[in-house]
Amino acid sequence: MRKLNTYTKSREEFARAVKVIPSGVYGHLGPAEGCFIPVDAFPLFGERAKGSYFWDVDGNRFIDYMCAYGPNVLGYCDPDVDAAARAQMELGNCMTSPSTKMIDFAELLVDTVHSADWAFFAKNGNDVTTLAVMTARAYTHKKKIVFFKGYYHGVSPWTQKIDYAGILEEDVCNNIYVDWNDYEALERVFEENKDEIAAVISQPYMHGNFADNEMPSEGFWQKVRKLCTEKDAVLIIDDVRAGFRMDIAGSDHYFGFEADLICFCKALANGYNVSALCGKDFLKNTVSSLSYTGSYWMSAVPFAAGIACIEKMKKLDIANLLNEKGTKVKEGLIGAAKKFGFDLHVTGMPSLFYLRIADDPTLALHQEWVAECVKRGVFFTNHHNHFLNASLTDEDIAETVAVAEEAFEVVRKRHPMEEQYD
Amino acid sequence: MVMIGRHNTDETTMAYINLYAVLGTLENLVQVDEEAKALIQNKKISVGFAVNGGPAATLFFDHGSCTLKSGVDHCDIKLPFSSVKKFNGMIDGTVTPIPSRGFTKIKFLLKEFTKLTDILTRYLRASEEDLKDPEFFEKSTVLMFYTIVSAISQIGNHDKVSRTSASYMQDGIIRVAIAGGPVASVCVKNHHLTTVKKAPKAPDAKMEFASIQIARDLFDGKVNSLACVGTGDIRMGGMISMIDNMNRILDRVGLYLA
Repeated sequence: MRKLNTYTKSREEFARAVKVIPSGVYGHLGPAEGCFIPVDAFPLFGERAKGSYFWDVDGNRFIDYMCAYGPNVLGYCDPDVDAAARAQMELGNCMTSPSTKMIDFAELLVDTVHSADWAFFAKNGNDVTTLAVMTARAYTHKKKIVFFKGYYHGVSPWTQKIDYAGILEEDVCNNIYVDWNDYEALERVFEENKDEIAAVISQPYMHGNFADNEMPSEGFWQKVRKLCTEKDAVLIIDDVRAGFRMDIAGSDHYFGFEADLICFCKALANGYNVSALCGKDFLKNTVSSLSYTGSYWMSAVPFAAGIACIEKMKKLDIANLLNEKGTKVKEGLIGAAKKFGFDLHVTGMPSLFYLRIADDPTLALHQEWVAECVKRGVFFTNHHNHFLNASLTDEDIAETVAVAEEAFEVVRKRHPMEEQYD
Repeated sequence: MVMIGRHNTDETTMAYINLYAVLGTLENLVQVDEEAKALIQNKKISVGFAVNGGPAATLFFDHGSCTLKSGVDHCDIKLPFSSVKKFNGMIDGTVTPIPSRGFTKIKFLLKEFTKLTDILTRYLRASEEDLKDPEFFEKSTVLMFYTIVSAISQIGNHDKVSRTSASYMQDGIIRVAIAGGPVASVCVKNHHLTTVKKAPKAPDAKMEFASIQIARDLFDGKVNSLACVGTGDIRMGGMISMIDNMNRILDRVGLYLA
C-alpha cells in the first residue's frame, strides 16, 4: 500500500487565504467548485509543475489529469514553448504598438484551423465566446441565442442562468435552451422565434459536468449547420475546452462541418494566457466594427508561446497522440475497476475522458474512489472531464493504473460486494 | 454597509414561507421550549389559515405537540385572508385576522397562540443578549435551521427565480444536517420540493454543517459557505448538482427571511 498524502501546509495556507481572498480559492480551482470531496483528500495550493506532474506546497507529487483544466497540453514548462516565450520577453511584451508576433500567430491559426479566415486575440475563453455572441448579434441584427442544456460558455452574465447570484432576468432573457442532440427541438425553436435567432452556440460534443459525456448523433452537426445557414443564424463552436485535443484543425473539422465562428483558449499556448476567436470571412468586417479590447490582449509573449505550441502540436500530431495515450489510460482504469467488481464508465474523447463509477447513481462511491486516487498522487476530479498532455509516459500510465487499482481495493473493502450503495 | 434590496421577491412566495416555514416551526418550538410546550399541554385545538391566491394549512395543537398539515377542512378556528398581502401583514403584525369559524375559541388565538408566536419570534429574531446563553443559542439555531430548510422548498416551488433552480434538480433526496444536531430532508419529485423534518433513509446527496456554531455563523452571514467547504466546516457528498441547485435557492432564503 502506498503512503497517503498529507496536506498540513495546504490547510495553513488556506487559513491565510480566506482572510484576504473571497472563499480562499474561488472558481474551478477551489475546493467548492472543484468538488473536493472530502476536502481533506485534496491539495489546495501548488508549488511547481513539470511535464505531467505538479507538486503541492506539502511536497506531494501528482500525476495530473486535469492539466490546469486544459492549458497544459504539451507538458508543464515545455522547453520549446518556454524558450519562445523567454526570447520574446527579451524583446518586449506589453507594448504601445503590438508586436508583429500577433500577425504571425494569426497567420498560423488561419493556416491551421480549417474554418478560420481570420483570428482575433484576447485572454480567456469567456472573452472570445462573448465576442462571438456580440459578433453574431451585430451581423444578424437579431437578439436570441440558442444553447444546448449542460453547456458551459464562460462566466459573463449572458452565459449564466437566472438563478445565479448577480444575474438579472434581463441578462438571460434572450437565451433559448434545447436538449443536446435534439435536432427537432432546435428546428422547433427556430419556428417559434422566426427571424429572432442570431446564433446557435455549442461545444463540439456535450462535455457537461456530473454526467457521462455525449457525442453528437450521426449527422447531427450537418443538420444543424444546414439549418443555421437556411435561417441566417451564425453557428458558433465553443472549442475552448476540446480545441486541438480532438483535431488540430478544429473540432468542427473533426465532425465534418464548418463553424462560422470558433473559440479557442486552453490548449492554445500551453499555459500562456491567450485566447482566440477565429471566423469566416463574411464576419470579419463585423468584428472590426465592435468596441472590444483589453489591456493585455496584445501582449507578445503569449503570442510567441502560442506559435511555438501550435507548431509543436502539429509536429506531434497532438490529437492522435493524446487519444492513443487516453485510450491506454481508459483501458487500464476499466480493467482495474473490473478486478474489484466496479463498472467504471469512461466517456467522451479519450484525450478528454470523463469518469464515472456507474454502480452508484448518487456518485458518492465515485467521489470516494477519486479521493483515494488523489491521496495516492493521481489527480482526478469527480465531476468534470479530464485532460491529457503530450508528456504523459507509459510509466505514468502504469503508475496511474496501479494507484487506481489500490484505490478500488480500498473502496471495495469499505463497501463489500453484497452491500447496496443506494 | 449597503442595504440589501428585495429584487424579484414576491408576496405569494412570502406567504408560503410564512405559513409552512415560519408558522411551521411551531412544530419544533414546542419540542425544544418548555414554556411553549406548557402553553398547549392541556389543549386540543386547531387553527386554519386560508389565504386567497396562496397557501391553506392548519396547525393542530394536541396536548403539547403541534403539527402543520395542508388544507383547512378540519380546523376549529379558521382565519381567512383575502390576499397573500393580508396574510403576510398578519405575520408582520400589521393586520389583525378575523376568524370565519371558531368564534367561541378565539381566546386561544388571542392568548396561547399569540404567546407561542411571540416565543418563536424571540428565537428566530434573537437578540445579542439572549444569544449569550448557550442553551438559548442552540435552540435558536436549531429552530432557524428548520425554518430555513422548510423555506427552501417553498421558495423552490413558488419563487420565479428559484423555480429555475428546481427545474434543474433531478428526483432524489438531499440530507441537510448540523453535525450532532437536527437533520432534515429536501425531497425532489418532478422538480417539486418538499421538506421533511427528519433524516432520509437513503439520501442522494448530503450537506452537513460541522457544528451549531458554524451553522449559526452561516445563517447570520458571518462566514462564507464556499470558504467553509474549503475549511471542511461544510461537508458535501453525492449528487452535487442537486446541492448546487439547492444552494442557489438557499441564497434567496435570506432575501425573504431578512
